[in-house]
Amino acid sequence: MAVEKVLITGMGVVSAAGMNVAETLAGFSSGTRNISQTTPSLSPLDYPVFHVSAPLGDPGRFSSRTVHLTFHALDEALADAGLSQDLSGLRVGVCMGTTVASQLNDMDFYTAYRKTGQPPMEPVTGFLKSNLAEAVAFRVKANGPCVTVVNACSSSADAIGVALGWIRNGQCDLVIAGGGDELSRIPICGFSSLSVFSHEPCRPYDRDRQGLNLGEGAGIVILEPESAARRRGSRASLFVGGYDAACDAHHLTAPRPDGSGLEAAIRGSLAEAGIQTQEVGFVNAHGTATRDNDKVEGGVLARVFGTGIKVLSTKGFTGHTLGAAGALEAAFTALALREGWIPASAGFENQDEEIPIGAVRERTTVSARYAVSTSLAFGGNNASLVIGREP
Amino acid sequence: MNIAGMGLVSARGRGVAALEQALEQGWVPPGEVEVKGLASGRLPVYAVSAETLSDKVVLAKARRADRFTRMAVLAASDALQDSGLGASVDKSRLGIIVATALGPHATTFSFLDGILDFGDAAVSPTAFSHSVHNAAASYIAMTLEARGPTLTVTHFHFAFHQALEIARSWLDQGRCDAVLVGTVDELGSVLHHVCGRMTKSAADGRITPFAFSATPETVPGEGRAFFLMTRDPDGAAYGCIKPVGGAVPDGGASLQLLDADGLAKDERAYRAAVIPGMPVAGYAPLFGGLLTGSAFEVAVAALMLKKQRRYACPVRDNPHSISLLSEPLTAPLSAVVCIKLDCSGRAASILLGRSAS
Repeated sequence: MAVEKVLITGMGVVSAAGMNVAETLAGFSSGTRNISQTTPSLSPLDYPVFHVSAPLGDPGRFSSRTVHLTFHALDEALADAGLSQDLSGLRVGVCMGTTVASQLNDMDFYTAYRKTGQPPMEPVTGFLKSNLAEAVAFRVKANGPCVTVVNACSSSADAIGVALGWIRNGQCDLVIAGGGDELSRIPICGFSSLSVFSHEPCRPYDRDRQGLNLGEGAGIVILEPESAARRRGSRASLFVGGYDAACDAHHLTAPRPDGSGLEAAIRGSLAEAGIQTQEVGFVNAHGTATRDNDKVEGGVLARVFGTGIKVLSTKGFTGHTLGAAGALEAAFTALALREGWIPASAGFENQDEEIPIGAVRERTTVSARYAVSTSLAFGGNNASLVIGREP
Repeated sequence: MNIAGMGLVSARGRGVAALEQALEQGWVPPGEVEVKGLASGRLPVYAVSAETLSDKVVLAKARRADRFTRMAVLAASDALQDSGLGASVDKSRLGIIVATALGPHATTFSFLDGILDFGDAAVSPTAFSHSVHNAAASYIAMTLEARGPTLTVTHFHFAFHQALEIARSWLDQGRCDAVLVGTVDELGSVLHHVCGRMTKSAADGRITPFAFSATPETVPGEGRAFFLMTRDPDGAAYGCIKPVGGAVPDGGASLQLLDADGLAKDERAYRAAVIPGMPVAGYAPLFGGLLTGSAFEVAVAALMLKKQRRYACPVRDNPHSISLLSEPLTAPLSAVVCIKLDCSGRAASILLGRSAS
């Protein structure tokens, strides 16, 4: 029996690349990189960051900036799907990815705890109300499965994979999947301690890349089984064709040098989608611009797809948005299939002799029906999503 | 899906034998910790001992890891060992799902100590990399050389329930041949303080699951419970888990376990959740209150099904005169349902059956 398609019936994005889909596409087309520097209120460390500077919408009872970013993308995705903000009549699942929002790491709270032993409890109660998936479920009155994936940098790609499973298992009529993360002092300190930051705008896949820049944002996709979506009049043409994940089981922070975990995830996702490698038009790579990531990932992409595969990393426009990255990049991949072009991979100029493939240097037409988005995470998890477009 | 093996780490020790011993022995008083900022200065807790986490062989690849991760590695390794399937499981098709409510917060605060004590530019990269929620899953994968998907999920009430359903989904889709799914949550000095201020501490050290109180009392606990799940009918040493439901089933089970551990602000809703006519039990007094404590109730239920033995409730205060399991009983037992309510009274139930699914 043929597996029913799982359509992407709505998308919402917010990042330094744009406050919505239209702004993001315009920025991609023009090659604009909205990069700034850390401010003293964010971190005393001076690094380039991709900050969302425009105001966000009303977050209701939630104080977390990650929740604000996520609600901003959620509202766009619901509108794009033609859905109201009250989904209580449907079997709706919510699966979100994040990193920063999962941790009780409020500096003011902890400083007061250390100094006085009597910290204010509002940061704790606020944290306990701000589990990202629970917050989204609360906002739309979702009554189905609800969970937040905290798989570091592959969190929201894995969240989309979990959502795909819920729909294919018949657990949900509709799933809100994606992720969000805010710029925060804590990961800025942490990534700085790991010496993986670049002091200039990041250059994914470039020979002279020096590391990553952090960013913030959120990406949401609304997933529905094709039959249900068509019944309510959706004309969506994009779909999630396949997903897979595999662990390196190698190191807490470094990718497995042979990339076999990533390769297994990509091949598994292609098999689930029922397609061959030559049907994939391009890969939106994880492409953090660290020496290790791009070298390992580039080698795997060449091995799986051949050296002629078109590759880009949208992190040159957004920075590394951590738990939001997988969903943002899945949405960007879907948009590229819909629009028929991918942007120049921002920051890429010179091919690295150690990597058998380079990234695209200019806006490039794509006519393929399928594309792949990859995510590699702290902890060694690798995730791959196959996004498709109906003819 | 079938439960092929279990691994547990709690204040009552490590492994299935320690669980069984605790169930036979019954309630024991908790330990006590000094807590900064509390009027009493002390808090009863069920904490995992350092001795329980001292296995240098299993923890060889996790020797730099924190307590949160060490508990996880031990319980997950024990679950695989307990199944007897270790050698036959294809490690490239072994998935890992870790459910947690709060993650490795002690390491997070240790990282914040680094910022406050030494400045933003001089923090420990090791503390940072171990403060991410999925560090435990990563160490489990490295220790067991598991190359399938690894996932860490969080939810403040039903993290374990959601993790079980994802495991079922992975098995149904053929993504994995076996999945190690479990929970971990830990205590630490800041959480002691938070518990001391946000929950009502049980002065006598006894959680009373059947008081159904508007102001329940608790004793915070910590630990880890892991399960090796398969579709293999031969891998049903502890029976099977039926699809996790939101509603409490009105039939099919002959015993109900309540995960009433005193952490909720109000436990009166448990009274209405009790299925009439079915004996009731609850084992939170053995392990303490954990947001992911449902995994321990499921472990008890699984052991009951394997042993065909009902273990007496460790604390039997019964002001509502419900049908309490007050004495141990060895007799046929076909199914057990575990019931958990969140703060707003929403229920989630896990139904376990004796036979393979």
